[in-house]
Amino acid sequence: MATHFSSLDWAIVCVYVLATMLTGLYGRKFVGGISDFLVAGRELGLYIGIATLAATEIGTITFMYYAELGYKTGYAAFINGLIAGVVMIAIGRTGFIVRRLRAMRLMTVPEFFEVKFSRRLRVFTGILVAIGGILNMGVFLRVEGTFLAIISGISLSHIKAVMTAILLLELVYTVLGGMISIVITDFIQFIALSVGTILVTIWSLRAAGITHMFDAVKNTMGIAGFSPLKNPEYGWAYIIFQVLVWMAVHTCWQTTAMRTFSTKSPEISKKVFSWAGFIFLGRGMMPMMWGIAALALLGSGQNSLEAMPRMLATVLPSGVLGLVVAGMLAATMSVNSSYLLGWSSILAQDIILPLRRRPMSSRQQVMLNRVANLFVSIFVMVWGLWYTLPGPTYFYLNMTASIYLSGTLVTVIAGLYWKRASILGGYLAMAGGAVATIAFFFFKVPASYAGLGAFLLAGIGMLAGSLWRKNNSDAPTISPESVPAR
Amino acid sequence: MNAWYFFWMANFVIAGSAFAVIAIVVAIRGVKDLREMFANLRAESKRK
Repeated sequence: MATHFSSLDWAIVCVYVLATMLTGLYGRKFVGGISDFLVAGRELGLYIGIATLAATEIGTITFMYYAELGYKTGYAAFINGLIAGVVMIAIGRTGFIVRRLRAMRLMTVPEFFEVKFSRRLRVFTGILVAIGGILNMGVFLRVEGTFLAIISGISLSHIKAVMTAILLLELVYTVLGGMISIVITDFIQFIALSVGTILVTIWSLRAAGITHMFDAVKNTMGIAGFSPLKNPEYGWAYIIFQVLVWMAVHTCWQTTAMRTFSTKSPEISKKVFSWAGFIFLGRGMMPMMWGIAALALLGSGQNSLEAMPRMLATVLPSGVLGLVVAGMLAATMSVNSSYLLGWSSILAQDIILPLRRRPMSSRQQVMLNRVANLFVSIFVMVWGLWYTLPGPTYFYLNMTASIYLSGTLVTVIAGLYWKRASILGGYLAMAGGAVATIAFFFFKVPASYAGLGAFLLAGIGMLAGSLWRKNNSDAPTISPESVPAR
Repeated sequence: MNAWYFFWMANFVIAGSAFAVIAIVVAIRGVKDLREMFANLRAESKRK
């Protein structure tokens, strides 16, 4: 398919990538110890907090899977964006979970499990978090590469080399500057991706036409393209599952939680969530609109994942295309660097460190995290090259996340708000959530039922385990309020 | 069908406008936040 991607666009993209790289390297000089490396010294203010949270959770992969949902399920897909945004605003307004987690001055989510329950439960959770998180990230390169290949006209074999090079660039500044470099680059990337998102939305609406888009959805899907209750992909079970998933993602997803832990105070973390929730509404609905525009312009016979970039390659003029691709690369780099740091920190801090008999100094921990960064990068490169998605990307990402998110959400809520919550309850919750999720991959259970089942089993596990066996008298009983926030 | 359509379009307009406004505010005021972060990190580093 023809694309307007020209040498001007390549120049814009190259300048942008180089500038990001240099800015990222600047953060290196501020890394003094492990809290600087993982949570930026807990120095994030409101605006930079919003920028880094939004940039971390808005990637090319986000645009791709939401556009795919828009293309396949029409306006009914908007329910996903609405839930993600409203749940985040509600968490911000109430401070539910995030205020208490921030007050505890943690660096990773599984660390909470040691503070509240036991070191072994921390390691068990760390293993599930690492498996779920790294598998989740594993498909990023493939999906992002597909976008870049279609929009720029480069062959898929060359794109593999380009994506590998981009991952290596991200790796350099992430390994050297950790969270500080990521926060600085996230700020630039947030601006670039916002410009790209708004430009693409305007161009898509102009090219397809609002009336034509409405007709395309109506003629292709009928009422199922508008009502999430009538669409076979959604329904009440799915909606409840999504509310739980997003509650878990906004509070316990390691990359999001690292932003909570990095803010200056619990109050700032609440404000960040309140405002970022509005960004999350747009993060979902705008790319879904691109997918609907692709349906209107290209028809329903396209590969659902590739329809949106194919549409963009034809409607965006040269120059704008470069700005948009720079914006998408910005989104890609901010997500990948944060995810690299997030999952490698789990490997280092929650699996390797607790299993060592001798403690490590802050400097040694930074080095260990850097090695873990390298390991995760290599895995992501290999997995991204050979794994084939079993269904829509969005559902794969939901399910890999649910491997640990369902159990973690239940255990964190119980640990924070229920005095009776016990170690056995924690184990059963984590195991129950993981088992139901694995059923999705092996027994082809529909995503919404498997996901809902994961949360249900986790809840039952926590309840049964805690009522059956209380904690030993020497189990930690640290109250979140007793730990001063910095 | 029309009710759902208008509901989603209203959501879309609110979401898109909020996205644009917050992006502009963050782009302007985030610079100050970044400067403060650098200053605090430098001070902390000297203190150590």
